[in-house]
Amino acid sequence: MLEVEALGKTFVRGFLRRKTEALRGVSFAVERGEIFGFLGPNGAGKTTTIKILMGLIFPTTGQARVLGRAVGDRSAKQRVGYLPENPYFYDYLTPVELLDMVGRLYGLRRAERRRRCDELVERVGLAHAARRPLRSFSKGMLQRAGLAQALVGDPEVVVLDEPMSGLDPIGRKEVRDLILELRAAGKTVFFSTHILSDATMLCDRVAIVVGGRLRETGPLGELLSPTVQYVDIVWTAPDGTLATLDSLAGEHTSTSEGRVLRVPDLAAAQRALAAIVAAGGEIRELVPHRQSLEELFVTEARAVGRSLE
Amino acid sequence: MNGVALGLGRLWAIALNTFREATRNRVLYVLVLFAVGLMGFSIVLGELSLHEEVRVIKDIGLAGISLVGLVIALFLGVNLLSKELDRKTVYFVIPKPLHRHEFLLGKFLGLAVTLVVLVVLMAAILAVVVEIEGGRHDLALVRAEVLVLFELLLVTAVALLFSSFSSPYLSAMFTASLWIIGRNSAELRAFAGSKKLADTPLGTVLDGAAAVLPDFHLFYVSGASLGGATPVSIHESFVSWGYVVEAGVYGAAYGGICLLLAMVLLARRDFT
Repeated sequence: MLEVEALGKTFVRGFLRRKTEALRGVSFAVERGEIFGFLGPNGAGKTTTIKILMGLIFPTTGQARVLGRAVGDRSAKQRVGYLPENPYFYDYLTPVELLDMVGRLYGLRRAERRRRCDELVERVGLAHAARRPLRSFSKGMLQRAGLAQALVGDPEVVVLDEPMSGLDPIGRKEVRDLILELRAAGKTVFFSTHILSDATMLCDRVAIVVGGRLRETGPLGELLSPTVQYVDIVWTAPDGTLATLDSLAGEHTSTSEGRVLRVPDLAAAQRALAAIVAAGGEIRELVPHRQSLEELFVTEARAVGRSLE
Repeated sequence: MNGVALGLGRLWAIALNTFREATRNRVLYVLVLFAVGLMGFSIVLGELSLHEEVRVIKDIGLAGISLVGLVIALFLGVNLLSKELDRKTVYFVIPKPLHRHEFLLGKFLGLAVTLVVLVVLMAAILAVVVEIEGGRHDLALVRAEVLVLFELLLVTAVALLFSSFSSPYLSAMFTASLWIIGRNSAELRAFAGSKKLADTPLGTVLDGAAAVLPDFHLFYVSGASLGGATPVSIHESFVSWGYVVEAGVYGAAYGGICLLLAMVLLARRDFT
């Protein structure tokens, strides 16, 4: 559905023609019907890649294709819906007028435009403000209007640049539900984010881009190591036995819940549990930690940082 | 045929939005200013002129339409693209299923519709004031107003060309400079052909400049042009429809080239 191959972009700025390499050799493909997360810290090159895919900027090297066609092809654009990062719209329009304009650009007839308009303002929760100019909207409301306009043409592929940005927890949940609904309806969703919990909850596959380079791509389950990295045991014990238990092997800290013992693996955890129980202590919690997306993300970012140094 | 209709639909979507923007930004409020100014002037000048009130009102009115229209065409023309970039609305509209040149033509069409509405309403106000003073808003005046409209559309096309590669401030300066030179193209030609400059390199350069730069003098009909080649006046009957058509064809050709160049520049532009 979306393909980029050895994509590179170098921006030339200012009077002195200073060059900034925003992307280098990025390649990935988004398959039909999947939710694909495009992850990376701020300034990683996510928006640059999306802008190339949407025909807003041209790559310096490599190529991008949308629905098998060259970027910018009008018939391919007809099948794509796009929400830009921090969407800016014509603020003198109302959501209804905005959606009507987009409907015209998609070549929809008047009755169809009206039907889609009503359906979408309802779906994104803007029915109460459908006739208010966008200039009076909060950031979250603008984001909702942005999502609605991305769906006017009933696209096969939906490209969302930071769709959760500016939304409160309820709004974020609604957007997550909307993305899942789109997948259920057979649409392909490609979205960028730096909020990893969203990606963990939604994505079939992810690509991680750091410093303009693609670091990882694939299903989350394959990217994250399944092995337990460490185990946290939260425990309490009568004052008399604290000193004995504090000498157990591992890393000791305290929280409001009790004492926390961090041990390297499940075998060590079992030994510690037996010792705590034998000493009259009480186990409050046992948390085995596997690699999270956040840890993978930080590891990749650090690796790029080191290679740049 | 269906493809053409869809293409026109997309152009109209952009044009309608541009027109909405102009009207909601209260551009049409200048009409009130124009009406009040014209009535004020007509009262004052009516007192000062002897039996020439109608002629003076026509002159002032036409100059007013031209000047007000020029300011609006210049202001909206140079901001047409830069506003889209500054407000980042271009990120939303370019990925939609339309060609970049359709976006540019739609913007131009929207501004053209705005200018047509503006000129028609100002002409109507002028007609009312002329009627009140006992005169007649005749066809000669209509032809002059049509010429003013052509001039404004050409100014917009030139402004759009400059704004496709430079800042609004520079675009306004370039366009205004071209308009001043173009309005004085007859003088420029006369100067280039004068005894001192004829057959000199400077004379050739000035003559070439007069030929290449837009000839806004063609649309200026109040008074006779220098050299007597195209003597026109709104107060005489010899401002023919033929002349208006000729000027229109020139404006369309020149404006068309400007728009074509702007499309070429826009086609490869990065919207960073």
